[in-house]
Amino acid sequence: MNLEASTQQLSYIANQASDARVNIELETEGMTLNLGPQHPATHGTLRIIVRLDGEQVVSAEPVMGYMHRGYEKLTEVRTYPQVTTLVNRIDWLGSFANEVPFILAAERLMEVEAPPRAQWIRTALFELSRIANVVLFLGDMAVQLGATTPVFYAFRDREFVLNQIESVTGGRFHPNFDRIGGIKDDLPKGWIQETKDVLARIHSFCDEMQDLVVGNEIFQTRTRGIGIIPADVGLSYGLSGANIRSSGVDWDLRRDGGVGLIHDQLDWKVWTHPDGDSFARYWVRLQEVRESCKMVDQILDGIPSGPIMAKVPRIIKVPPGEAYVETENPLGVMGYYIVSKGDLVPYRVKIRSASFNNVSITPWVLKGVYVPDVISILASLYFILGDIDR
Amino acid sequence: MSSPDTTEEGLVEESIESQEDLIIDEERDVLVESIKKDLGSDFIDSHVTPQIDIWIRVTQKAWLETARVLFEKYEMSFFNFLSAIDWKPSPFGRDMDAAIDNTDDEVDIESEMEWGVTGGEKRFQLLARVHNPVTNIGINIKADLEGDFPEVETWIPVYPGANWHEREVMEMFGISFTNHPNMVNLYLPTEFEGNPLRKDFPLLSRRAKPWPGIVDVELMPGEDDDETEESGEET
Amino acid sequence: MEKAVIAMGLVENGKLPGPLTKLLNISRKYSLWVYQWGLACCAIEMGAAFASPRYDVMRLGVIPFPASPRQADLVVISGTVTDKMAPAVRRLYEQMPEPKYVISMGSCANCGGPYWDSYSVTKGVDQIIPVDVYVPGCPPRPEALLEGIVLLQERIASEDMTDRWNRDPIVVT
Repeated sequence: MNLEASTQQLSYIANQASDARVNIELETEGMTLNLGPQHPATHGTLRIIVRLDGEQVVSAEPVMGYMHRGYEKLTEVRTYPQVTTLVNRIDWLGSFANEVPFILAAERLMEVEAPPRAQWIRTALFELSRIANVVLFLGDMAVQLGATTPVFYAFRDREFVLNQIESVTGGRFHPNFDRIGGIKDDLPKGWIQETKDVLARIHSFCDEMQDLVVGNEIFQTRTRGIGIIPADVGLSYGLSGANIRSSGVDWDLRRDGGVGLIHDQLDWKVWTHPDGDSFARYWVRLQEVRESCKMVDQILDGIPSGPIMAKVPRIIKVPPGEAYVETENPLGVMGYYIVSKGDLVPYRVKIRSASFNNVSITPWVLKGVYVPDVISILASLYFILGDIDR
Repeated sequence: MSSPDTTEEGLVEESIESQEDLIIDEERDVLVESIKKDLGSDFIDSHVTPQIDIWIRVTQKAWLETARVLFEKYEMSFFNFLSAIDWKPSPFGRDMDAAIDNTDDEVDIESEMEWGVTGGEKRFQLLARVHNPVTNIGINIKADLEGDFPEVETWIPVYPGANWHEREVMEMFGISFTNHPNMVNLYLPTEFEGNPLRKDFPLLSRRAKPWPGIVDVELMPGEDDDETEESGEET
Repeated sequence: MEKAVIAMGLVENGKLPGPLTKLLNISRKYSLWVYQWGLACCAIEMGAAFASPRYDVMRLGVIPFPASPRQADLVVISGTVTDKMAPAVRRLYEQMPEPKYVISMGSCANCGGPYWDSYSVTKGVDQIIPVDVYVPGCPPRPEALLEGIVLLQERIASEDMTDRWNRDPIVVT
């Protein structure tokens, strides 16, 4: 931990300790609080055992596995096209984004490359699924802090994005649309104009959230200075995505990764925030939705014509080898390490999911905070249970 | 595509490769050479895919040392993942749709092990990846492990994020980590028996009722409808 | 309050005169308190059905706000039930007061779905609790869930408590 960050963290803890002085005088007893496995703040079935001294957290230990479905074993008995069906359901809010790194890794092993049009459509859907994912976070975070209105807005506007994804892929939630060597279908007629209208809606939704949530004084007092994660600690825990960018690390695989998506041909910006607190994480995600809207807008203007599928054999056998491909998914860095032995099925697939690492910092970051802050910190880390447990 | 250090054969292959692709990744080659110098005899093998990725293989006893070197000297500050690979093929066949797997007879699968990139010697291989977010170079580290229930040193002193990954590897592969503060199951209930990601762990549902096989193949866009040929194959 | 308790007991035993049972059934039908039980992907579709203005389940008389299973009449098992989660599912179900109804939403809760061969997934929530309505899909659209709720309401409207336990479950098609 660098000096500045540790001072920040220490002063935060010291402030809270002075607030809790009355507890020391009263000689409080320790208490164990069980959050979950079914709790609205945990987005599913995460269970956290929190040991408390008064209102202050002494230690927090997440218990996982309530959503463990054994993905890595199941991929070993499924063919490559079947695996995409499965991996859709890892991060169920941005399903299409889950397929992309897997398909890219298989393509790298097979040495095929999707034609330009397929890559552009892939990127558009990738960013649309990011919007569908993060928009729900923007509403949900406010719910965790006691404001119920934003989540209704989020569900309202998310429906339009899902409609657009559905009209291309046929799947509202789990598209299963990406193929090795391209994509399944071309865009339907009139899709581009409809999507532009939806993007305008999302833009106004972001403005709404800016006024309603970010500008809200209660929201600011409950999130600013809460749950500070210094950059070096975050990196060594493997935090990625907006969680690490809000600690000031300027690193985005869409810009720096250089894998088969076309983000480098678009004009956009990577947002960072120096604070590393809950507020910064919300703010960075809000900006990212705006950037995604900008990206999709540019993609819609510039989709090249041409085929959508490269030449690949009907029965897909991936040549022997190993490949690791990671992309910047809505929740952070998601990667697939594929070991192939030239068979119909992968020999071993290691799924590096973003939330797993993002949540692994909770014992560190929850130490010394107050009970209400536990909820706001968990909400701001933004995890999805399927992405943790796989 | 082997790095220039191993054998003469590797050297020849490298030169042919670079002539063909005209890609020489000096940055990564230099990095691998430098790591090799730091680790000395604990460095076994390496592999560089130009512009894409690096693999290195180290000995089991240098596992923690490798992490320390990569973290302190090469500023690989981003911990990506830690996992393992079981290289011994499954005795149950592939549990897949091939005709051989649906028969009741004992499936005869050759049990010889074949290793992937950078080779290997033992059944279990640890696999980890760390990344430098500044230069954007990631590195995959492998290490062969002795025995059926191997033990290896934990990475927590260097990368605290390895904590949960190691617990996962412990329950999935039966590889335990020394000096780990909390070596208990992460996902599975404590009474769960077996290590699911070992290749000899059977998926009982599949044993009880095998997958019916490829019954409908989705046509690729642009391909003509030739169902007659497929149905002919199936019957 | 005391009267209500007696009335509930009478409904349970099926000893009320027909018209009164019908009246009670109608009032139960339009005040189904549903316990939020988000498990997996289906939970988001359930959220879309419950919380989004487009689907708005409250117009059907379903109230999705109880924070405790002790206040709920209906539970939607939305998502994959794992072997580790199963005891908790069973326990929360047992905390609900009678009469209680269960909707199993999505393929995972119905039969294991895409994880039919997994080592850690319970293949069907009906192995641990009785299910009244099965809603198929992966995940089902919110409309499908709403149809399941409407079918359940129709059944409640004509329910006779004595043979309640002998019926086949509804399968939404």
